[in-house]
Amino acid sequence: MDDADRLMQRVRQRDAAAFEMIYDRYRRLVYGIAFKMLGEPSAAEDLTQAVFLKVWSAPQTFSGGNCAAWIARVTRNRALDVLRSRASHPEVSIAVDVPAEGALDDAVFARLDGLRVRTALESLPPEQRGPIELGFFGGLTHDEIARRSALPLGTVKTRIRAGLKRLRNSLEMSTV
Amino acid sequence: MNGHDESRLDSVAVLAVGALPAAEARELEAHIAQCSICQTEYAELREAVDALALSAEASAAEFSAAQDERVKGRVMDVVRRDAARANPTGETNVLPLVTRAQRRNWWMPAIAAAAVVLAAVSTWNAATLRTETDSLDRQVALLQAEVNTQETAANESRATLALEQSQLADLLAPNAARFPISNGVVVRGDGRILFALRSLPPLPAGKTYQAWTLRRGAKAMTPSVTFQPDPSGLALIELPGSASGITTVAVSVEPAGGSKAPTSKPLFVRSLS
Repeated sequence: MDDADRLMQRVRQRDAAAFEMIYDRYRRLVYGIAFKMLGEPSAAEDLTQAVFLKVWSAPQTFSGGNCAAWIARVTRNRALDVLRSRASHPEVSIAVDVPAEGALDDAVFARLDGLRVRTALESLPPEQRGPIELGFFGGLTHDEIARRSALPLGTVKTRIRAGLKRLRNSLEMSTV
Repeated sequence: MNGHDESRLDSVAVLAVGALPAAEARELEAHIAQCSICQTEYAELREAVDALALSAEASAAEFSAAQDERVKGRVMDVVRRDAARANPTGETNVLPLVTRAQRRNWWMPAIAAAAVVLAAVSTWNAATLRTETDSLDRQVALLQAEVNTQETAANESRATLALEQSQLADLLAPNAARFPISNGVVVRGDGRILFALRSLPPLPAGKTYQAWTLRRGAKAMTPSVTFQPDPSGLALIELPGSASGITTVAVSVEPAGGSKAPTSKPLFVRSLS
């Protein structure tokens, strides 16, 4: 059991001090995702608040494993709710409850700071990075990405896969 | 076991990045559960997507100390109050919902206090010509303290409402799709549609709230359940029947017993697509 697991176990026991440590550890991650998806500081602050209150009110939804990835998924999920409420937005798949198995563990995440991932992401060709960012941060479906990019749907899907594989390889090399 | 199809691997990547429409996602997830090759591919690509989120982490300059203090203050106020009254046995993680009276009344003292502050500031402006400086300083300090108190109260209420909405959705169906509305949330998951509505006013005798659904391709709303909120104005409703094909839901006030078609302007109409 790693440190984040232990903290979340204490949060389940209504330990405010443990929760504060979780907040301090992940606040910039949550705000950063919220701001990137919503584009407004005040909306991102509200979302950050909502996400951490969700962590406090429903810590049992964290079933162990990668805490950062779980909080990131909760944040994206909530941001998609806001985007949908702003405009009619097609429902897209939200992998909040994806099992922890196979995901990067926190030890790997600890070595993967934001700067390193940004560098790896920026090293992708724009035609691969663009669809990935539109899907993940923009909350667009593959059809919408294809329309916006004026590309065939099959091309968009192929580029997303190629980009993710390249990103994964790049990150693996950078953490060796 | 479903046979593996190489052409699905691109869709697996789209699923991993969260850009596959829900209907396609459900179908593909069913396939992935049966196909070891697609399972491996999905797990590997999810690693990349999990890391992708880190690229958005804000720097100290992007999430300023002032912002952090503001957000943390709101969150920790709620958390510390809740922790203080939590069940020491820790048997439940679900927080009690705040009462309607608490929700309704938080702004009333805030407005009253604001009026007091404004009146006091006016008095203070006139008094500056004829009172001692140290006395004014004390008044300013008192007024500032009053304003700070009201700001704290407003922030707490904002945080509490956010918490409440989150809890309502989680009580109904954790991790299901949420569709926020002005006074609650519509939740769709596991083939069900549920409403959590708050602050619903009581209706006069002979009136009822009624839910409506619109199915894909239909030209008119179909009547669904009628309901009354509890005394606190809260209504937790599950629509009968399957959620399949329902694209829009609504609620309106109707004569007791319900109507075959809406007879009043709906409280809300929420698209689920």
